[in-house]
Amino acid sequence: MITVGSTRILLYVVLVLFVVAYVMPFWADITTSLKTNVDVITTVPVVPPFSPTLEPWVIAFQTMGRPLLNSLTFTIFATIFSCLIGSINGYVLSKIRFRGSNMLFLFFSIGIFIPYQTVLIPLVLTMSRLGLFNTVGALILAHTVYGIPMCTLLFRNFYKDIPESLTMAAKTDGAGTLRIYQSILLPLSALPFVVSGVFQFTSIWNDYLFGLILAQGIDAQPASVALANLKGTTTASWNVLMAGAIWYALPLVIVYLVLGKYLMKGYMAGAVKG
Amino acid sequence: MIIKNLTKKYGEVQAVRNLSLDIGEKEFFILLGPSGCGKSTALLCIAGLLRPDSGEIWFDNKLVTNPQRGVYLPPQQREVAMVFQDYALYPHMTVFKNIAFPLEVRGKNKNEVLRRVKATAELLGISQLLSRKPKQLSGGQRQRVALGRAIVREPKIFLMDEPLANLDAKLRVHMRVELKKLHQKLGTTTVYVTHDQVEAMCLGDRVAVLKDGILQQVAAPTELYDAPKNTFVAGFIGSPPMNMLNGKLAKKDGNLTIDLGFAMFELPDWTEEKLKETQASEVALGFRPEDIRLAGRYQENAIEAKVEMFESIGREIHSHLAAGDYSIVAVTTPAENVKVGQSAWVVLSEEKIHVFDGKTGELLA
Repeated sequence: MITVGSTRILLYVVLVLFVVAYVMPFWADITTSLKTNVDVITTVPVVPPFSPTLEPWVIAFQTMGRPLLNSLTFTIFATIFSCLIGSINGYVLSKIRFRGSNMLFLFFSIGIFIPYQTVLIPLVLTMSRLGLFNTVGALILAHTVYGIPMCTLLFRNFYKDIPESLTMAAKTDGAGTLRIYQSILLPLSALPFVVSGVFQFTSIWNDYLFGLILAQGIDAQPASVALANLKGTTTASWNVLMAGAIWYALPLVIVYLVLGKYLMKGYMAGAVKG
Repeated sequence: MIIKNLTKKYGEVQAVRNLSLDIGEKEFFILLGPSGCGKSTALLCIAGLLRPDSGEIWFDNKLVTNPQRGVYLPPQQREVAMVFQDYALYPHMTVFKNIAFPLEVRGKNKNEVLRRVKATAELLGISQLLSRKPKQLSGGQRQRVALGRAIVREPKIFLMDEPLANLDAKLRVHMRVELKKLHQKLGTTTVYVTHDQVEAMCLGDRVAVLKDGILQQVAAPTELYDAPKNTFVAGFIGSPPMNMLNGKLAKKDGNLTIDLGFAMFELPDWTEEKLKETQASEVALGFRPEDIRLAGRYQENAIEAKVEMFESIGREIHSHLAAGDYSIVAVTTPAENVKVGQSAWVVLSEEKIHVFDGKTGELLA
């Protein structure tokens, strides 16, 4: 009994250490963002501010307001588009038999592994030709296209588990290819939409490289780039930088809070089936 | 409906081989066979959900499938409705929506949809379930909804793929009767796939027995039972199945007999005429469990066997006997002096025996 008890205690100590290590930066982020310039210099990051102020938050928002809006715009649109297209692809690849469908699926899957860096130059050239360079449109297009393989994979695997008799029944009932998607598969897709939606939202929101390359003007600048720019070339106002980081993290936190429950369900479903 | 030389391969495996059937108007037609015999594949080809490799399918005078000539009418355009083993109800739709779906797809107006769905629900006794989702229904109720979705369209042909297989035994018997009544009421041509011979015998106007994708026999249930074309059909139809004893044809005192090894069985005169032509020397003697009389003492031309046990299942007694390496089952009231562990004499009804070719399994007499 004693040995079991002591291992328990040891386990908790280790776990608490991990939690502290994990939460510490975020804590420091919050405390620092509420400090005046003086406090930043006179205190250690983890110590609470002497004279709390929201001023850094206001300053950070003055620079990051527009980029946050940009980011929200292209992230939301690119997420919706890539999920929708991925869902249609998944339907075609899982429920419609045609020659070469497996090969096509393989090519889609390879798309997941293409590193961003390798396509930068053609990407910039393409966007310039399309007249989208330095616009939010460029980011929507790039992220949509880049998200399609992952979404296709996710939806295809989900649809594979929907019994074939369901689509067969719809066919004999008289529904065509499009109608089957619309009336049968799409209404059953809440779960994969949440899972791939959150996945896409996170990865698009967090992207820095595409944003940096494709949107150099302030009009289309993403929040990730704006956040990096908060750190000046000669000085760094840590409190403003930290406040900016919180602004930047906020939408993701909200997404996870709202959809977290469904997300867990989705992962569990995957885990059980896998 | 006419099917000509239908063949479907999955890779190297031939699921259906040269299947030809002629299914009559208003007929309740059964495709019967063990799992993997190609009966479902044939049904999917009829529905248009599967493209056969060769062969033709005609509905009335309309060619709907012919791969050689590139004719392939998609399922949407064939006037068939299908009921699946797992019911395939749309899980996100209410019962009403499920039944209404085929009508809505065809763009029927709202009033007509409402009227027909209600009439169908009434016919099947599921009016009170219309607002529920499939998840909230029992197996039998789901089954009815699936039927409703098929009926509501008033199709030319019903296709049913083991629709009762997922129900428990009692409900299955109940739904079997309901299905038969429904067919009598609607009179729609039905092709019904099952592996359950009892279902086939009860429901079918005619039954086609398939094995390994090859058609064995098409006949009315009673004919299938009384005159099976080969050992497979004989063994598949009937429960307990037909007793089958292998032996050699021989002459004894000028009479044709079967040498069973452990006993000699003298064949009745009517068989001799039929067996005259045959080249086969190895044969199988078949007789139904109920075409037997069990005697406690020696009888002429009876097969001696040891009684192993009696199995009383209420209405009837199944007697299990051992003769040579074979076991014989008799469904009959044994004579009083027949006792477990002792010898009994199996007397066959001479006009009801079957003689099959021992090698090919074909019926000889």
